[in-house]
Amino acid sequence: MGEVVLEMKNIIKDFPGVRALNDVNFEARSGELLALMGENGAGKSTLMKVLSGVWPYPSYQGDIYLRGELKRFYNTKEAEAAGIAIIYQELNLIPDLTVAENIFLDRQMTNAFGAINWGKLFAETQRLLDELNITDFKPTDKVKDLTVGKQQLVEIAKALSKKADVLVFDEPTSALTDKEVAALFEIIRKLKRQGVCMSYISHKMEELQQIADRVVVLRDGKTIGDVTPIAEITLDQLISRMVGRDVKDMFPKGQFQRGEKVLEVKNFDIDNPDLPGQKKVKNACFCAYKGEILGISGLMGSGRTELVSGIFGAPPGPAHGEIYLDDKLVRFRSPHAAIEHGIGLVTEDRKRIGLILGQSIIQNMMISSLETVTNVLGIINQAKERNLAQDYVKRLSIKTPGLDVKIDTLSGGNQQKVILAKWLNIKPKVLILDEPTRGIDVGAKVEIYNLLNKLVEEGVTVIIISSELPEVMGISDRILVMCEGEIVAELTREQATKELIMAYATGSQK
Amino acid sequence: MANTAPTTEQPATGFLQSEGMRAFLKFLKDNGTLVALIALMFIFSLWDEAFFTPRNLTNLARQTTIVGIIAVGMTLVIIINGIDLSVGSIVGLAAIVVTLLMQSGVNIWAAILITLLLTGVLIGLWNALWIAHYNIPPFIITLGMMTIARGIALTLSDGGSVPVTDPVFGEIGGGFFSVMVSTIMVLLIFAYLLFSQYRDLKQKQQYGVTVKQQELITTGVVTLLAGAIVLYAFSYRGLPYPVAIFAVIAFIGSFTLQHTKFGRRIYAMGGNEEAARLSGISIKRMKIAIYCIITTLSALAGIMLASRLNGASPNLGNMFELDAISAVIIGGTSFSGGVGTIIGTVIGAFIISVLNNGMSLLEVPTFYQLIIKGGIIILAVWFDVLSKKKRG
Ligand SMILES: Nc1ncnc2c1ncn2[C@@H]1O[C@H](COP(=O)(O)OP(=O)(O)OP(=O)(O)O)[C@@H](O)[C@H]1O
Ligand SMILES: [Mg+2]
Repeated sequence: MGEVVLEMKNIIKDFPGVRALNDVNFEARSGELLALMGENGAGKSTLMKVLSGVWPYPSYQGDIYLRGELKRFYNTKEAEAAGIAIIYQELNLIPDLTVAENIFLDRQMTNAFGAINWGKLFAETQRLLDELNITDFKPTDKVKDLTVGKQQLVEIAKALSKKADVLVFDEPTSALTDKEVAALFEIIRKLKRQGVCMSYISHKMEELQQIADRVVVLRDGKTIGDVTPIAEITLDQLISRMVGRDVKDMFPKGQFQRGEKVLEVKNFDIDNPDLPGQKKVKNACFCAYKGEILGISGLMGSGRTELVSGIFGAPPGPAHGEIYLDDKLVRFRSPHAAIEHGIGLVTEDRKRIGLILGQSIIQNMMISSLETVTNVLGIINQAKERNLAQDYVKRLSIKTPGLDVKIDTLSGGNQQKVILAKWLNIKPKVLILDEPTRGIDVGAKVEIYNLLNKLVEEGVTVIIISSELPEVMGISDRILVMCEGEIVAELTREQATKELIMAYATGSQK
Repeated sequence: MANTAPTTEQPATGFLQSEGMRAFLKFLKDNGTLVALIALMFIFSLWDEAFFTPRNLTNLARQTTIVGIIAVGMTLVIIINGIDLSVGSIVGLAAIVVTLLMQSGVNIWAAILITLLLTGVLIGLWNALWIAHYNIPPFIITLGMMTIARGIALTLSDGGSVPVTDPVFGEIGGGFFSVMVSTIMVLLIFAYLLFSQYRDLKQKQQYGVTVKQQELITTGVVTLLAGAIVLYAFSYRGLPYPVAIFAVIAFIGSFTLQHTKFGRRIYAMGGNEEAARLSGISIKRMKIAIYCIITTLSALAGIMLASRLNGASPNLGNMFELDAISAVIIGGTSFSGGVGTIIGTVIGAFIISVLNNGMSLLEVPTFYQLIIKGGIIILAVWFDVLSKKKRG
C-alpha cells in the first residue's frame, strides 16, 4: 500500500432540512481499495459527490487534499481534470446513443472540421472493452438495448477510460451478474497493481472481504471509528459500527403454518417479442400458499423478472397459460387489474420503472392506492393521506425531511422503502418482490425481512426474487430455481444448499 | 438546485440579505410569469392611457376566455407528455355546427349539447383511439384532425359564414352580470382565496413545513392587488358571462389537478408513464378522458366565440392551438411532462392576451406582433430547459 493520495477533512454538507455530512474525515492511499460503508442515507454518495465536484466548492465546508495539495472544485470538469473519476450509483447514460458515444461523451473524437471520427471512436471503445474483458456487447450497441447490468459496465468502462488515479465506485455491482462481478474485481486488482487509489461503496459484505483493503464507516453523516484494515475487523463489529447496535440475526425467519393455496400458475409461457419462436418463460407451473415465503432464485436473465411481470399483467411479450387466484381462473390484462385483485409487484429496476422521479414522496407512496384516501367523488382527504403516509415513514423508518420533498433527494435505500410503503398500502393478498433489497443496508434489510415475516403472519402470500443466495435461502420456505426461462427445481428450505441452487441455476443439474 | 450554494453560510450583509428582501427575491424567482404579467400591464398602462381603463380591461378579460378555456385542457394534455393541435379547428367546427343547428330550428340548448357531443366528445374519442390504442404519436393524429375538422367546417358552411338571430344565444358570450352582483361575487371569491391561503398555511405548519411570514404577506398582497384590478375592470359593465365560465372551468381544472385522484394520476403519468402503468393506473382510460376533455373544452370555446360574434365563419379559431400551447408553456408547464399548474396557465393566457391587446392598442403591425409572440414562446421554453438543467 502506497502513500496517502486523498484526504478529506472536516467535511460538512447541508441540504434543506438535513445535514448529510457532519465533520467527515478520512484518507485513502494509492494502490488500495478503501471501502466506504454505512446505512442508507448515511451520506456515502454525498461524500463522493463532494469529492467529484457535483456539489462544488463552496456548497460544502471542509478541505479536500489531493497528494497533499488543497483542492477546490467548482464543477465536475475540474475534478476530472485533477484525476478523479466516479461511477455513480444512478446510471447517467443517454439511452439513444451508442455505447461508444456514451463512453466518450464529453471528449468526442473529432477531426479538424469537428466531424466525429467514428472509426476511431469505435476502435478506441473496442480496445477499452477488450481490456475489461467485456464481450457481451459491442461499441455500436445502443445503450437502451442493454440490461441494467450491462449499462453498469458501460458506466465503469466510461470511468476507466478517463485514466483517473482516484476512482470511486458507488455501488457498482448492485445490478451485475456473478460473472460480471468477477470480471470487475479482476480489473480492480489490476488497477491496484497500477497504484490507482480507489474508494468503493457497497452494502454487500462478502464482496468487501474479497476486494477491499481497508474500510471506513459512515453513520448519520459522521465517520465512526478510524479507517481500519479489513483483516482487523469482524463482520459483527462492522455491522455494529454501521447501525449503532448489534444485529443478532441477519436473516430472521418467522415460523408460519402453511395455509391454503392462493396462487397457482399453470403452463405459463411468454413469447420473446424480438425473436419469434423463442420464449422468455417456458411452461412455468407453480403454486404459492398462504403463510409462506416463496423464493425464486436463478441467474440474471433466467426469466424470473419476466415470469412475475407476466403474472402481474405486464408481460414483455404475448403470454399464454393459466393463472388461478383462490382457485378462480383469472386473466390480468393490465397491472391495474392485477392490483384490483390484490397482487402487488415491487419492480426490479427502481429508477426506470419504479419511481416517479421529480415528484414528491407522498405522491410516490400513494399512487397505487389513492382509493384509500379519497371520497366517492375522487377528492383526496389530505389530512388522512398525510397521516397514513406519516405512519409508513415511521413504521419503515424512512429517513426524510418531509413528505413533500422530491423522491430524488432520498438515498437509494430510502427510495426503496417508499416503494414498499406504496405496495403495502394496497393491502395485497399476494406481494411479489423483485430484488427488493438491492442497494439496501444491512440494518434495513433485516427490517424488511421482519416486515415480510409480519406480512406473512397477517395472511399475505409473499414471493421474493433474489440473486443473493444467502438471502433467498435465509428467508424462504420454498425455493424455485429458474434456468433459461424454465423452472428447473423446487426445493424446500431444508433441501436448499448454495451448491445445489447454483447447479440448477447454471443448468449443470437438471 | 444542484449548483446553488446555500446562502445560509454567508453572513447577512445589509439590505440584499435581509429576510424580507430574500423572501421577495424568492417570490420573483418562483413566480416569474406573474411578475412578467404585472410588468407587461404596467408598461402598457404607461405607454397608452387607453390600456388601463375598465372598458379595455373588460375587453381583455373577454378575449382571454376563449384561448384560456382551451389552455386549461391543454395543460392536462401537456402534463401527460401529449399535445393536441386540433383545438383551433375544433373551435371553428363547433361554431359552424352550433349555428347551423340553430338555423335549422333546433332549440339553443339542444344545439349546444349536440355540438359538445359531436365536435367535442366524439372527436376526442377518435383522437384518443389512435393515441391510446394504436400508440400513434398525438402530434401526428391531432395534426391530421386539425385539417380534417377545418375541412368539415368549410364543407358544412360552404365556405361562407352563418349568422345567428336568436338574442339569447348571443348572451352566452356577450352577456354581463350586473355591476352590483359582480362586485359581491368578486368580493366573496377573493375573500375565499385569502381564507384558503391562510388555511393552507395553517395546515402546512401543522405538518411541520416552515413557511416564511414574508412569503405569506407577498401572496396576500398579490391576491388583494388582483382583486382590486378585477373590481376596477368590472366597474365598466360587470362580470362578463364568458369570464365567469372561464373562471369556473379554471377552478375545476385546478382543483382536479391538485386535490383529486384523477389529478394525481395525471402528474404520475407525465412523470413516468411506465412506472404509472405498473402502479395500476389505466393509461388508456386516462388518455381517453384527457383527450376528450380538451376537445370538449375546445368545442365549448367555439360555441362561446360564435355567441360573442353572433355568427360563425369556418375560419374561426385559426392558430388558436398556438396561443393555447404558448399559454401553457409560458405558465410553467414543462414539455417534458409531469409538471404544471392551471393557475400558471391562466396567467400565461393573460400574458398572451395582454400582449395581443396592448400591441393592437399601440398599433404594432400584425407582422411584428407575430414575431414578438414567437420570441416570447421561445424565451419561455428556453427558461424551462434552463431551469431543468439546473435541477438536474
Ligand atoms: N439532492 C439532495 N437534496 C436534498 N437532500 C439530499 C440530496 N441528496 C442527498 N440528500 C440527503 O442526504 C442524506 C445522505 O444521502 P446519500 O445519498 O449520501 O446516502 P447514502 O449513504 O449514499 O445512502 P444509500 O446507501 O441509500 O445510497 C440523505 O438523508 C438524503 O436524503
Ligand atoms: Mg448512495
